[in-house]
Amino acid sequence: MSEINKSNIHQELGQLTRQLHTALNGLGMLDPVKNLAGEIPDARSRLTYIANLTGNAAEKVLNIVDEEKLKHEKLQKECKNVKNWIKENGDVNLDMEVIIDFIEKVKNNSIDSDEKMTSIMMAQDFHDLTTQVVEKVMSLTQNIEQHLVKLVVETAPEGFVDKKEDTNLKIEPLTIETYEPIGPSVDAENNKNVVSNQSEVDDLLASLGF
Amino acid sequence: MNKDLKFLIVDDFSTMRRILRNLLKEVGYENVEEAEDGNQAFHKLQIMAFDFVITDINMPNMNGFQLLKSIKTEDKLKHLPVLMVTAEARKEDIVLAAQSGAAGYIVKPFTKATLEDKLKVILVKYNLV
Repeated sequence: MSEINKSNIHQELGQLTRQLHTALNGLGMLDPVKNLAGEIPDARSRLTYIANLTGNAAEKVLNIVDEEKLKHEKLQKECKNVKNWIKENGDVNLDMEVIIDFIEKVKNNSIDSDEKMTSIMMAQDFHDLTTQVVEKVMSLTQNIEQHLVKLVVETAPEGFVDKKEDTNLKIEPLTIETYEPIGPSVDAENNKNVVSNQSEVDDLLASLGF
Repeated sequence: MNKDLKFLIVDDFSTMRRILRNLLKEVGYENVEEAEDGNQAFHKLQIMAFDFVITDINMPNMNGFQLLKSIKTEDKLKHLPVLMVTAEARKEDIVLAAQSGAAGYIVKPFTKATLEDKLKVILVKYNLV
Protein backbone atom coordinates (compact mmCIF):
# COMPACT_ATOMS: atom_id res chain seq x y z
CA MET A 1 0.00 0.00 0.00
CA SER A 2 1.48 3.37 -0.99
CA GLU A 3 2.23 6.07 1.56
CA ILE A 4 -0.40 8.34 -0.01
CA ASN A 5 -3.08 5.64 0.31
CA LYS A 6 -2.11 4.94 3.94
CA SER A 7 -2.30 8.63 4.71
CA ASN A 8 -5.73 8.92 3.01
CA ILE A 9 -7.10 5.95 4.93
CA HIS A 10 -5.76 7.36 8.16
CA GLN A 11 -7.44 10.70 7.44
CA GLU A 12 -10.75 8.97 6.65
CA LEU A 13 -10.57 6.96 9.89
CA GLY A 14 -9.81 10.12 11.82
CA GLN A 15 -12.82 11.83 10.25
CA LEU A 16 -15.10 8.87 11.00
CA THR A 17 -13.93 8.79 14.60
CA ARG A 18 -14.60 12.51 14.99
CA GLN A 19 -18.07 12.08 13.44
CA LEU A 20 -18.83 9.17 15.77
CA HIS A 21 -17.64 11.18 18.73
CA THR A 22 -19.85 14.14 17.69
CA ALA A 23 -22.84 11.85 17.12
CA LEU A 24 -22.48 10.16 20.51
CA ASN A 25 -22.04 13.51 22.18
CA GLY A 26 -25.10 14.86 20.41
CA LEU A 27 -27.17 11.90 21.62
CA GLY A 28 -25.91 12.44 25.15
CA MET A 29 -24.32 9.03 25.09
CA LEU A 30 -20.63 9.88 25.12
CA ASP A 31 -20.17 9.59 28.87
CA PRO A 32 -22.35 6.48 29.28
CA VAL A 33 -20.46 4.71 26.48
CA LYS A 34 -17.11 5.75 27.99
CA ASN A 35 -18.24 4.38 31.37
CA LEU A 36 -19.46 1.14 29.80
CA ALA A 37 -16.17 0.68 27.89
CA GLY A 38 -14.37 1.09 31.20
CA GLU A 39 -16.47 -1.60 32.81
CA ILE A 40 -15.72 -4.26 30.21
CA PRO A 41 -12.27 -5.20 31.63
CA ASP A 42 -13.98 -5.44 35.01
CA ALA A 43 -16.57 -7.81 33.50
CA ARG A 44 -13.78 -9.93 32.03
CA SER A 45 -12.04 -10.28 35.38
CA ARG A 46 -15.36 -11.15 37.03
CA LEU A 47 -15.94 -13.93 34.53
CA THR A 48 -12.39 -15.21 35.10
CA TYR A 49 -13.16 -15.20 38.81
CA ILE A 50 -16.25 -17.33 38.18
CA ALA A 51 -14.32 -19.81 36.04
CA ASN A 52 -11.62 -20.13 38.72
CA LEU A 53 -14.09 -20.49 41.56
CA THR A 54 -16.16 -23.18 39.87
CA GLY A 55 -13.01 -24.99 38.74
CA ASN A 56 -11.59 -25.00 42.27
CA ALA A 57 -14.87 -26.24 43.73
CA ALA A 58 -15.05 -29.08 41.21
CA GLU A 59 -11.44 -30.05 41.95
CA LYS A 60 -12.07 -29.98 45.72
CA VAL A 61 -15.14 -32.19 45.43
CA LEU A 62 -13.47 -34.68 43.10
CA ASN A 63 -10.47 -35.01 45.43
CA ILE A 64 -12.75 -35.78 48.36
CA VAL A 65 -14.77 -38.24 46.28
CA ASP A 66 -11.58 -40.05 45.20
CA GLU A 67 -10.41 -40.41 48.80
CA GLU A 68 -13.77 -41.62 50.02
CA LYS A 69 -14.22 -44.12 47.22
CA LEU A 70 -10.85 -45.67 48.05
CA LYS A 71 -11.76 -45.95 51.74
CA HIS A 72 -15.14 -47.50 50.95
CA GLU A 73 -13.48 -49.99 48.61
CA LYS A 74 -11.13 -51.08 51.40
CA LEU A 75 -13.99 -51.27 53.89
CA GLN A 76 -16.06 -53.41 51.55
CA LYS A 77 -13.12 -55.81 51.18
CA GLU A 78 -12.75 -55.99 54.96
CA CYS A 79 -16.47 -56.67 55.37
CA LYS A 80 -16.15 -59.55 52.92
CA ASN A 81 -13.11 -60.90 54.81
CA VAL A 82 -14.85 -60.71 58.20
CA LYS A 83 -17.98 -62.39 56.79
CA ASN A 84 -15.89 -65.24 55.33
CA TRP A 85 -13.92 -65.53 58.56
CA ILE A 86 -17.15 -65.81 60.59
CA LYS A 87 -18.53 -68.44 58.19
CA GLU A 88 -15.30 -70.49 58.27
CA ASN A 89 -15.08 -70.36 62.04
CA GLY A 90 -18.63 -71.69 62.33
CA ASP A 91 -19.24 -73.07 65.83
CA VAL A 92 -15.92 -71.99 67.29
CA ASN A 93 -16.11 -69.21 69.85
CA LEU A 94 -15.69 -66.06 67.91
CA ASP A 95 -12.93 -63.69 68.86
CA MET A 96 -15.03 -60.78 70.05
CA GLU A 97 -12.01 -58.50 69.93
CA VAL A 98 -11.84 -58.90 66.15
CA ILE A 99 -15.55 -58.20 65.75
CA ILE A 100 -15.48 -55.18 68.07
CA ASP A 101 -12.37 -53.82 66.34
CA PHE A 102 -14.09 -54.16 63.00
CA ILE A 103 -17.24 -52.43 64.17
CA GLU A 104 -15.13 -49.60 65.58
CA LYS A 105 -13.42 -49.25 62.21
CA VAL A 106 -16.76 -49.07 60.43
CA LYS A 107 -17.99 -46.47 62.89
CA ASN A 108 -14.90 -44.31 62.48
CA ASN A 109 -15.13 -44.57 58.72
CA SER A 110 -18.70 -43.47 58.91
CA ILE A 111 -17.82 -40.44 61.05
CA ASP A 112 -15.04 -39.52 58.67
CA SER A 113 -17.34 -39.89 55.64
CA ASP A 114 -19.87 -37.69 57.34
CA GLU A 115 -17.25 -34.96 57.81
CA LYS A 116 -16.23 -35.29 54.17
CA MET A 117 -19.88 -34.92 53.13
CA THR A 118 -19.95 -31.68 55.10
CA SER A 119 -16.84 -30.55 53.21
CA ILE A 120 -18.55 -31.36 49.92
CA MET A 121 -21.58 -29.42 51.04
CA MET A 122 -19.43 -26.43 51.97
CA ALA A 123 -17.64 -26.59 48.62
CA GLN A 124 -20.97 -25.62 47.03
CA ASP A 125 -20.52 -22.11 48.41
CA PHE A 126 -19.23 -21.13 44.97
CA HIS A 127 -22.84 -21.03 43.78
CA ASP A 128 -23.71 -18.08 46.00
CA LEU A 129 -20.56 -16.14 45.10
CA THR A 130 -20.70 -16.82 41.39
CA THR A 131 -24.40 -15.95 41.19
CA GLN A 132 -23.68 -12.52 42.65
CA VAL A 133 -20.93 -11.92 40.15
CA VAL A 134 -23.00 -13.24 37.26
CA GLU A 135 -25.83 -10.85 38.19
CA LYS A 136 -23.39 -7.96 38.16
CA VAL A 137 -22.11 -8.91 34.71
CA MET A 138 -25.67 -9.43 33.45
CA SER A 139 -26.58 -5.97 34.63
CA LEU A 140 -23.61 -4.56 32.75
CA THR A 141 -24.43 -6.36 29.50
CA GLN A 142 -28.08 -5.30 29.81
CA ASN A 143 -26.92 -1.72 30.17
CA ILE A 144 -24.68 -1.99 27.11
CA GLU A 145 -27.49 -3.58 25.13
CA GLN A 146 -29.96 -0.84 26.02
CA HIS A 147 -27.55 1.92 25.02
CA LEU A 148 -26.63 0.21 21.77
CA VAL A 149 -30.28 -0.43 20.87
CA LYS A 150 -31.07 3.20 21.59
CA LEU A 151 -28.14 4.23 19.41
CA VAL A 152 -29.24 1.98 16.56
CA VAL A 153 -32.87 3.10 16.76
CA GLU A 154 -32.05 6.79 16.93
CA THR A 155 -29.61 6.64 14.03
CA ALA A 156 -31.61 4.25 11.82
CA PRO A 157 -32.39 5.65 8.35
CA GLU A 158 -36.02 6.20 7.38
CA GLY A 159 -37.83 3.14 6.08
CA PHE A 160 -35.65 0.77 8.08
CA VAL A 161 -37.56 -2.50 8.45
CA ASP A 162 -36.98 -4.86 11.33
CA LYS A 163 -36.55 -8.36 9.84
CA LYS A 164 -38.33 -11.03 11.83
CA GLU A 165 -36.42 -14.22 12.53
CA ASP A 166 -37.58 -17.27 10.66
CA THR A 167 -39.08 -19.49 13.38
CA ASN A 168 -39.48 -22.46 11.07
CA LEU A 169 -35.88 -23.53 11.38
CA LYS A 170 -34.53 -26.11 8.98
CA ILE A 171 -31.51 -28.20 9.89
CA GLU A 172 -28.75 -26.74 7.72
CA PRO A 173 -26.00 -29.24 7.07
CA LEU A 174 -22.64 -28.49 8.66
CA THR A 175 -19.24 -29.58 7.41
CA ILE A 176 -16.23 -30.51 9.47
CA GLU A 177 -14.08 -28.03 7.53
CA THR A 178 -16.24 -25.02 8.43
CA TYR A 179 -17.45 -26.26 11.80
CA GLU A 180 -17.69 -23.70 14.62
CA PRO A 181 -18.74 -24.96 18.07
CA ILE A 182 -21.17 -22.75 20.02
CA GLY A 183 -20.89 -24.34 23.47
CA PRO A 184 -23.72 -25.30 25.82
CA SER A 185 -27.21 -24.14 24.83
CA VAL A 186 -28.66 -22.09 27.65
CA ASP A 187 -32.26 -21.96 26.39
CA ALA A 188 -32.85 -25.39 24.81
CA GLU A 189 -36.59 -25.43 25.70
CA ASN A 190 -37.22 -22.38 23.48
CA ASN A 191 -34.94 -23.38 20.62
CA LYS A 192 -36.33 -25.93 18.18
CA ASN A 193 -32.91 -26.47 16.66
CA VAL A 194 -31.35 -27.76 19.86
CA VAL A 195 -31.92 -31.00 21.77
CA SER A 196 -32.82 -30.77 25.48
CA ASN A 197 -31.78 -34.21 26.64
CA GLN A 198 -30.24 -37.56 25.63
CA SER A 199 -33.62 -39.03 24.63
CA GLU A 200 -33.97 -36.38 21.93
CA VAL A 201 -30.44 -37.19 20.69
CA ASP A 202 -31.31 -40.88 20.48
CA ASP A 203 -34.64 -40.18 18.76
CA LEU A 204 -32.98 -37.94 16.17
CA LEU A 205 -30.31 -40.55 15.40
CA ALA A 206 -32.94 -43.29 15.17
CA SER A 207 -35.02 -41.19 12.77
CA LEU A 208 -31.97 -40.88 10.52
CA GLY A 209 -31.35 -44.62 10.57
CA PHE A 210 -28.31 -44.54 12.86
CA MET B 1 -16.62 -58.30 29.55
CA ASN B 2 -13.16 -57.41 28.30
CA LYS B 3 -11.61 -55.38 31.12
CA ASP B 4 -8.36 -54.89 29.21
CA LEU B 5 -9.89 -52.57 26.63
CA LYS B 6 -7.81 -49.43 26.31
CA PHE B 7 -9.67 -46.13 26.28
CA LEU B 8 -8.52 -42.70 25.16
CA ILE B 9 -10.41 -39.80 26.78
CA VAL B 10 -10.10 -36.48 24.94
CA ASP B 11 -11.33 -33.27 26.60
CA ASP B 12 -9.72 -29.90 27.28
CA PHE B 13 -11.23 -29.82 30.81
CA SER B 14 -9.26 -31.88 33.32
CA THR B 15 -12.38 -32.13 35.51
CA MET B 16 -14.34 -33.83 32.75
CA ARG B 17 -11.46 -36.19 31.93
CA ARG B 18 -11.32 -37.11 35.60
CA ILE B 19 -15.08 -37.74 35.76
CA LEU B 20 -14.99 -39.92 32.67
CA ARG B 21 -12.00 -41.84 33.97
CA ASN B 22 -13.79 -42.49 37.28
CA LEU B 23 -16.99 -43.55 35.53
CA LEU B 24 -15.09 -45.95 33.27
CA LYS B 25 -13.42 -47.41 36.35
CA GLU B 26 -16.83 -47.88 37.98
CA VAL B 27 -18.08 -49.87 35.01
CA GLY B 28 -14.92 -51.97 34.98
CA TYR B 29 -12.46 -50.26 32.65
CA GLU B 30 -9.22 -49.02 34.19
CA ASN B 31 -6.93 -49.00 31.18
CA VAL B 32 -7.32 -45.33 30.31
CA GLU B 33 -5.17 -42.64 28.69
CA GLU B 34 -6.01 -38.95 28.41
CA ALA B 35 -5.45 -36.14 25.93
CA GLU B 36 -6.21 -32.42 26.23
CA ASP B 37 -7.10 -31.83 22.60
CA GLY B 38 -7.43 -33.45 19.20
CA ASN B 39 -3.77 -32.96 18.29
CA GLN B 40 -2.49 -34.63 21.43
CA ALA B 41 -5.05 -37.41 21.00
CA PHE B 42 -4.10 -38.09 17.38
CA HIS B 43 -0.42 -38.21 18.34
CA LYS B 44 -1.16 -40.77 21.07
CA LEU B 45 -3.24 -42.82 18.64
CA GLN B 46 -0.24 -43.02 16.31
CA ILE B 47 2.11 -44.37 18.97
CA MET B 48 -0.15 -46.50 21.20
CA ALA B 49 -2.82 -49.11 20.51
CA PHE B 50 -6.32 -48.15 21.66
CA ASP B 51 -9.69 -49.88 21.51
CA PHE B 52 -12.04 -46.98 22.11
CA VAL B 53 -12.02 -43.17 21.87
CA ILE B 54 -14.25 -40.85 23.91
CA THR B 55 -13.99 -37.25 22.78
CA ASP B 56 -15.40 -33.82 23.44
CA ILE B 57 -16.05 -31.56 20.42
CA ASN B 58 -15.25 -28.03 21.53
CA MET B 59 -11.47 -28.12 22.06
CA PRO B 60 -8.52 -26.00 20.95
CA ASN B 61 -5.81 -27.33 18.56
CA MET B 62 -8.11 -29.70 16.64
CA ASN B 63 -11.73 -30.07 17.71
CA GLY B 64 -13.57 -33.36 18.15
CA PHE B 65 -14.94 -33.41 14.62
CA GLN B 66 -11.51 -32.87 13.11
CA LEU B 67 -10.18 -35.68 15.30
CA LEU B 68 -13.05 -37.93 14.21
CA LYS B 69 -12.30 -37.21 10.56
CA SER B 70 -8.57 -37.83 11.09
CA ILE B 71 -9.32 -41.18 12.72
CA LYS B 72 -11.80 -42.27 10.05
CA THR B 73 -9.45 -41.39 7.19
CA GLU B 74 -6.45 -43.24 8.61
CA ASP B 75 -6.35 -46.92 7.65
CA LYS B 76 -4.92 -48.21 10.91
CA LEU B 77 -7.35 -46.16 13.05
CA LYS B 78 -10.66 -46.12 11.16
CA HIS B 79 -11.88 -49.29 12.89
CA LEU B 80 -11.93 -47.47 16.26
CA PRO B 81 -15.31 -46.61 17.80
CA VAL B 82 -15.47 -42.88 18.61
CA LEU B 83 -18.04 -41.73 21.15
CA MET B 84 -18.71 -37.98 21.22
CA VAL B 85 -19.43 -36.63 24.71
CA THR B 86 -20.18 -32.94 24.34
CA ALA B 87 -22.18 -29.89 25.28
CA GLU B 88 -22.84 -29.16 21.58
CA ALA B 89 -26.57 -29.84 21.29
CA ARG B 90 -27.64 -28.49 17.90
CA LYS B 91 -29.38 -31.06 15.74
CA GLU B 92 -26.88 -30.32 12.97
CA ASP B 93 -24.03 -31.29 15.29
CA ILE B 94 -25.64 -34.67 15.95
CA VAL B 95 -26.34 -35.27 12.27
CA LEU B 96 -22.76 -34.32 11.34
CA ALA B 97 -21.37 -36.69 13.97
CA ALA B 98 -23.48 -39.58 12.72
CA GLN B 99 -22.64 -38.91 9.07
CA SER B 100 -18.93 -38.60 9.89
CA GLY B 101 -18.80 -42.05 11.48
CA ALA B 102 -19.17 -41.39 15.21
CA ALA B 103 -20.21 -44.51 17.09
CA GLY B 104 -22.39 -42.55 19.51
CA TYR B 105 -23.29 -39.10 20.79
CA ILE B 106 -23.87 -38.10 24.42
CA VAL B 107 -24.88 -34.55 25.40
CA LYS B 108 -23.58 -33.00 28.61
CA PRO B 109 -24.72 -33.07 31.36
CA PHE B 110 -25.12 -36.85 31.34
CA THR B 111 -25.55 -39.65 33.85
CA LYS B 112 -23.46 -42.72 34.59
CA ALA B 113 -26.37 -44.85 33.33
CA THR B 114 -26.34 -43.07 29.94
CA LEU B 115 -22.59 -43.60 29.51
CA GLU B 116 -22.92 -47.23 30.54
CA ASP B 117 -25.81 -47.84 28.09
CA LYS B 118 -24.00 -46.24 25.17
CA LEU B 119 -20.78 -48.14 25.95
CA LYS B 120 -22.66 -51.46 26.02
CA VAL B 121 -24.36 -50.82 22.67
CA ILE B 122 -21.14 -49.70 20.98
CA LEU B 123 -19.00 -52.50 22.39
CA VAL B 124 -21.47 -55.09 21.10
CA LYS B 125 -21.69 -53.41 17.70
CA TYR B 126 -17.89 -53.28 17.38
CA ASN B 127 -17.40 -56.84 18.74
CA LEU B 128 -15.39 -55.63 21.71
CA VAL B 129 -17.19 -57.48 24.52
